Amino acid sequence: MNLKRWIGLENLSAEYAYARDAEMGYTSARKIPEKWVTTTCGYCSVGCGMQVGVKDGRAVAVRGMASHPVNAGKLCPKGLSEHYILEADNRAKYPLLRKKGKLERVTWEEALDEMARRFRAVQERYGAQSLGVLSTGQLVTEEFYTLGKLVQLGLGTSNFDGNTTLCMASAVSGYKVSFGSDGPPGAYEDLEKADVILLIGANIADNHPILCRFLEANREATVIVADPRVSKTAMMADLHLPLRPRSDIALLNGIAYILIEQNLIDGDYIARHTNGFEELREKLGRYTPDVVSEITGISVDLLYKTAVLYGRAASGFIGWTMGVNHSTKGTETVNAICNLSLLTGKIGRAGASPFSITGQCNAMGTREAGFASALPGYRKFEDPADRRELAEIWGIDEARIPARRGLAYPDIVEAAVGRKIRALWIIATNPMVSFPNQEVLRQGLANLDFLVVQDGYHPTPTTELAHLVLPAAIWGEKEGTFTNSERRVSKVNKAVEPPGEARTDFEIFLAVAEKLGCRQDLFPDWSAPEDAFNEWRRVSRGRLCDYSGISYELLADQGAVQWPFPEGKKDFSPSRLYADGNYGAKDGRARLVAVDWEPYPEQPNREFPLVLNTGRTVEHWHTRTKTKEVPILERLSPQAWLEMNPRDAGRIGLRSHDRVDIVSRRGRVRGVELRLTEIIAPGQVFMPFHYFETNVNEVTQSAFDPVSREPNYKQCAVRVERTGVSA
Amino acid sequence: MSLPLLERARSGDAGFLYTPVIGKRTRGADALVQIHGTPLIPQVPLQPGQQYRFHFDMTKCVGCKCCVVACNEQNGNPAALNWRRVGEIEGGHFPYTQRYYLSMGCNHCLEPSCLEGCPVEAYTKDTLTGIVDHSADTCIGCQYCTWNCSYGVPQYNPERGVVGKCDMCHHRLTDGMAPACVAACPQGAIAIEIVETAGWRQNYLDADVPGLPSADDSISTTRITRPVDLLPDTGRVDTQRIGLEEPHWPLVFMLVLTQLSVGAFVALWILDLAGTASSLLLSAMAALGVAGVSLGASTLHLGRPVYAWRALRGWKRSWLSREVLGLSAFAGAASLFAGLLLLDLPGRAGAGLLTALCGVLGVWCSARIYMVRARPAWNTSYTPAEFFATAFLLGPLFVRALGAGDVRMLGYAAAAGAAVQLVTQALKFLWLARAEQFEPRASGLLLSTRLRRWYLLRMALLVAAGFVLSLQVHSPAGAAATLLLALAGEWMGRWLFFVSVVPKNIAASFTGAGKVAA
Repeated sequence: MNLKRWIGLENLSAEYAYARDAEMGYTSARKIPEKWVTTTCGYCSVGCGMQVGVKDGRAVAVRGMASHPVNAGKLCPKGLSEHYILEADNRAKYPLLRKKGKLERVTWEEALDEMARRFRAVQERYGAQSLGVLSTGQLVTEEFYTLGKLVQLGLGTSNFDGNTTLCMASAVSGYKVSFGSDGPPGAYEDLEKADVILLIGANIADNHPILCRFLEANREATVIVADPRVSKTAMMADLHLPLRPRSDIALLNGIAYILIEQNLIDGDYIARHTNGFEELREKLGRYTPDVVSEITGISVDLLYKTAVLYGRAASGFIGWTMGVNHSTKGTETVNAICNLSLLTGKIGRAGASPFSITGQCNAMGTREAGFASALPGYRKFEDPADRRELAEIWGIDEARIPARRGLAYPDIVEAAVGRKIRALWIIATNPMVSFPNQEVLRQGLANLDFLVVQDGYHPTPTTELAHLVLPAAIWGEKEGTFTNSERRVSKVNKAVEPPGEARTDFEIFLAVAEKLGCRQDLFPDWSAPEDAFNEWRRVSRGRLCDYSGISYELLADQGAVQWPFPEGKKDFSPSRLYADGNYGAKDGRARLVAVDWEPYPEQPNREFPLVLNTGRTVEHWHTRTKTKEVPILERLSPQAWLEMNPRDAGRIGLRSHDRVDIVSRRGRVRGVELRLTEIIAPGQVFMPFHYFETNVNEVTQSAFDPVSREPNYKQCAVRVERTGVSA
Repeated sequence: MSLPLLERARSGDAGFLYTPVIGKRTRGADALVQIHGTPLIPQVPLQPGQQYRFHFDMTKCVGCKCCVVACNEQNGNPAALNWRRVGEIEGGHFPYTQRYYLSMGCNHCLEPSCLEGCPVEAYTKDTLTGIVDHSADTCIGCQYCTWNCSYGVPQYNPERGVVGKCDMCHHRLTDGMAPACVAACPQGAIAIEIVETAGWRQNYLDADVPGLPSADDSISTTRITRPVDLLPDTGRVDTQRIGLEEPHWPLVFMLVLTQLSVGAFVALWILDLAGTASSLLLSAMAALGVAGVSLGASTLHLGRPVYAWRALRGWKRSWLSREVLGLSAFAGAASLFAGLLLLDLPGRAGAGLLTALCGVLGVWCSARIYMVRARPAWNTSYTPAEFFATAFLLGPLFVRALGAGDVRMLGYAAAAGAAVQLVTQALKFLWLARAEQFEPRASGLLLSTRLRRWYLLRMALLVAAGFVLSLQVHSPAGAAATLLLALAGEWMGRWLFFVSVVPKNIAASFTGAGKVAA
């Protein structure tokens, strides 16, 4: 502090000055930029249109785009402060190579040489499949498309998956079973047009706050929220169904039972567009209201009310997120949701759709273009025709395209534990916070011969373990496209230069291809993301996710458009899949899937008497790598907490703000602030997962959906004890 | 009759010529003035007798805190300052639980307590819009407004040395644009509307909801739409997160030392009148020195000490201004008294009386500063009692240590002062502990839990120095030791006075960084 300030002659009036800007109006002078760069938010998959204000080469402000169909000028607290993530102190700036145990700065040349050399050595010694790649939902579609080809065709391993398996994989596999293809059928507009909105396992007020504005615009609709916790979203509901943990299949089957019993189904639609009705009806016979009430804890009255409301609605919308997906029964729960839409014909028209509200900004992009859990363009590994078609487009030998999917994320980790995976390349994800049952992951990563972590930040809990850290540009520093939950493709643009020597992921992938000697083969004459996008348009042509009519020019003109958007399409109004009742299976019919409720895998007992639920808070994003660096978000939510009902706390003599440990069979989280609250049911506890300092994934379990491989994050048995009482 | 609108119109003030802008601006989000067809800022000009106010709809807010982030960006504030805050309230029992959020900026009160307390007139209530504005250039950083506001609205920015607060984005409204919080809210839960002030003064029930201090304190103008079925047990979730307040060290020292000085001069005056005084000059000079040093040091409390003189401006309204006046007058009279002594001139009896009167007045003004509605544990006659008891205890001990009079008599006087302090402290604690209101009860709880050791030590020092030593020990060294111990006790007491006060504030969230009011 200088003398003038200390005695008070100076009060920093220049720093705190305001100014009138033609566009922003009267505002802090420091926040008025020289130019605005139009882009799309890089956090969640709502896909808000925004602009980044740039001054002297720095991002100084952001604002929502009033003309954008998704957010109409609004942004959530993370979006409103997104420019701060660019200038965080811990941005990764230089390639770092571990030498004698310590990460040291090296040139890109040395880093990439070492990477190619080590990968090759491991693959020569242990086989091509001993290399694993874990990607993300945070890159642009162009990068996903490039990475997919690089990994599957260049590196020649199919043990390639993304953190999307910790996220939306159950929705993907559920859609594939029910509709014959991935692809969320609905549009956000449905929230505005539906008569009845059922949100199940979806706390949009915390996780997708900008979607709440569609509910606000549709105050006539009846909103039903099924959630074991009185979430912020439950408070928006007309009807809250506080169902027991993971009893959702019973609830959905129970609703289906009543729909059939009360003849609230659309027999015509079922007959014309579905298979499996008789099988389903037979299965549902066991899900009488009494039985379902017993399982879910929801009264028979409330069950009827819910079923009749949905059944009688002219248009009914069912939205879900992680409450459904994060489950060993995730895929089947998605099927049970789709059953309701199909039984009542509430799909493919305005206000009527089953709808997965996606997590990451471009999880959709990797699903469509990624070449990890499927071939690009929703093609199937197993389908020879799909493989042949792709090989023709790419002009390569068909045999190079794998005929089945490689290992999924948790199986890659397990293979590392079993020393089948020997080298791993992790891109833009932070498993040392997000992966369940951390001890298994620690063992897996410790077993590796070579670990490459490519990230925008260093150190993170994951980059700290790496042998090689590749510094990547992040949102705001690169160009491409994102696709949001409602299949809306929008442009992401570069506002500022990446820090230090950080490169875009696209550049890194091309450089790796160069080192491997496959650049010209796989990416002929590519230099910019648009080259990847244009090839992807050709690859997607004629597929459900048809991008062929979308170009960078069109996106610049129109803002954002929904796929399918084949060449020649002129209509930009909200679109829905399956409007014609023609589904993705060979016979064009959807499948009614008969599924059974099962208790969740780890039930509480005397030693571990509480069910732990995990989730999020509105101020933070995923593993907090970015949002930890935003001072206002840290101010608003600086640390984790554990929610517990006062009735449980009374029994063990705990009070609010006590520090507690959460203990499961697998581990212990230490020193979490206890919050006694009636928003959580007796017998259950809830904790957010964002905080590496108190990582709830020390106690979550290794239990995965058999189809989607998604972890069962939402229920495990724990006990809670005062910190320091036992070792 | 005053017609502010007419006056502004005649004076050609551009800000007056307000025109509705919906439909005209389409450039960007910054101009957002409506949501789902509902206007978010007034569409008609203000009439006389009206002002702008916030409307907050609890039923729409989802607790996303966009308003907080937008406000910080609008004003370029560091993360630690939040002119708009979101609090959380909860009620009922699972599954019939209710949780709601309260998003609050400034309430632009009809009787703004920040403005009443400000010694430098940095606050103005805009005659046209009713917006309570604050001038960072006028402000000297005394932080008195932060004690006065029951909602914790004005916040001190140590980086700048001045306070800042929500001004409803006054200039944006003038330009026909929505305030940052209003424009940012995805739910349209915050809006600006027009209120008839006379009618609101009669009935402002809609300014009161669980989780907010009573609007009685200053007649908040914010109208809040409550859910119709709000459960009766709904309340704040942060009540077990009671933190210590700022100690304000310069004030701790200043208050105790000025009170010592006043006590000393009263004692000297009486000793002089009685004709039993010895080493009078030394004692008077020493007491004057203490007063001078403490008054000088008190300016260190200010964010901008160089402008301390401005504190005289608000003497018509502000007890802080009056304190400065009163204590300055005391210092002047005491100088006169000392000067007469030094030059051995007549008139000491009159000058001594004047010094005593100014001193008592100064201590009274000091105490009145703390008697604010926003801080119930201070807003009591125990505050002046405590301050005067300090003077009563330390004054005689001070002159006793300097050998100004009969050691025994001064010892009795000090013991009487100690007795007053002891009774004051005991009664105050009982009152706090049994208070029905949350804030004073929480203060009592702090004293009996987190601060218990310090509180007991303070009382032990009071008893040891005030009774045992002042009545039993009569040697010069003993008298000095007695003074020092008693002084330590009073300093500790004043520190406890500052840190244990639990101010009124809006509900906060359960977890959060930084200081939480309650």
